[in-house]
Amino acid sequence: MSTRAILTSRFFVVPAIAIATLIAWNLYVAAHAHGEVSGKVVRADGAPARGATVILYERNLTSHFLEKTRTTTDAAGEFRFKDNRSHQIRLDTIGPDGRQGQPRILRLWFAAQDVDLRRPLVVSPSKN
Amino acid sequence: MRRRSHILRHLVMALVCALMLIPFYWVAKTAVTNENIYAYPPRILPLKPHLYNFVDVWYLIPFARYFANSVIVSLIAVAGNIVFNAAAGYALTKNFAGKRIVVLLFLSCMLIPFQATIIPAYLVSARLGVLNSYLGLALPLLSTIVCIFVFKAAFEAIPASLQQAARIDGLGELRILFRIMLPLAKPAIATNIILSFIWSWNAFLWPLIITRDVTMQTLPLGLARFLAYVEDTTGALYAFVCMVLLPGIIVFLMAQKEFIRGLTSGATKG
Repeated sequence: MSTRAILTSRFFVVPAIAIATLIAWNLYVAAHAHGEVSGKVVRADGAPARGATVILYERNLTSHFLEKTRTTTDAAGEFRFKDNRSHQIRLDTIGPDGRQGQPRILRLWFAAQDVDLRRPLVVSPSKN
Repeated sequence: MRRRSHILRHLVMALVCALMLIPFYWVAKTAVTNENIYAYPPRILPLKPHLYNFVDVWYLIPFARYFANSVIVSLIAVAGNIVFNAAAGYALTKNFAGKRIVVLLFLSCMLIPFQATIIPAYLVSARLGVLNSYLGLALPLLSTIVCIFVFKAAFEAIPASLQQAARIDGLGELRILFRIMLPLAKPAIATNIILSFIWSWNAFLWPLIITRDVTMQTLPLGLARFLAYVEDTTGALYAFVCMVLLPGIIVFLMAQKEFIRGLTSGATKG
């Protein structure tokens, strides 16, 4: 069997494509897995919620969501976590006045994926 | 007229294929959604499909470890099957005293279900000191009787003059087997690879009994463990099933031509 025949055989091509895809995916993951989760918390009227508490929960096999860490927002209502190691997280918010916001579950493509929330978290949601 | 019947025949075959693929489609569809499989009326097309269930499976259990264990055990089983079955199949093409009894013994052993031999197999493995090891996991699958007969049929289809010529050139029996017979029995090798791979890949009962350590478990055991923990996530469960099935399907699709040829070779001999 010639080298060309081996290289064009499906027994070589299919595993080679699978391995190449795996390597490319792992390189992408390595470049984007710093565990950074950032976003913004706003009040129901859209104004930044300064001093709101954001709690990060991690999903695991046995106990679903377990609190990992928490932080408070700055003057612009922004927050940042740097040590998320999970692939599925939940973000809870508690406003400065103690009212809880709607929790948000984030499903990521891989563990510790860097993510910047497009839609801000809302505290003290309006009742209607 | 002939063309029309040709098209009709293909249409019927396509319909039968589609019917047989429905369960696979349903598994894949549930894996990319979180739909309840008992929902009525059932939804044909997936609603808001996503791949996050596969991510859940990858991270919630040590999937990579289970996968590696399954791959190692399957490789050992495949290698053992090719070597031992080829040797046994080649031996059965020869005439020797008691050959009939050996063949009868093989055929009658095929009637005994594996579950009935579990305890002796466990005791033998314990004596050999291979409990909770890769070799122990692959041990009962190192040779299978069906595959021995696949090799036997393939070797019998090769002209005896080739063996005689090799013998005149001074080759021993082992070299005749590995240098002359095996290269001419590629469909039988492919059949052995596929069957032994799928059997070892899907094995559940034997790995359940022989493994004591979670890190030595294979994918089917991981699936059972996952099912025990995650009861409410049908989507993730089906995603796990897809991930377990995928390597077997890929191996089959790659070698299906040889597989079918290997299974049918010798089938029509008078």
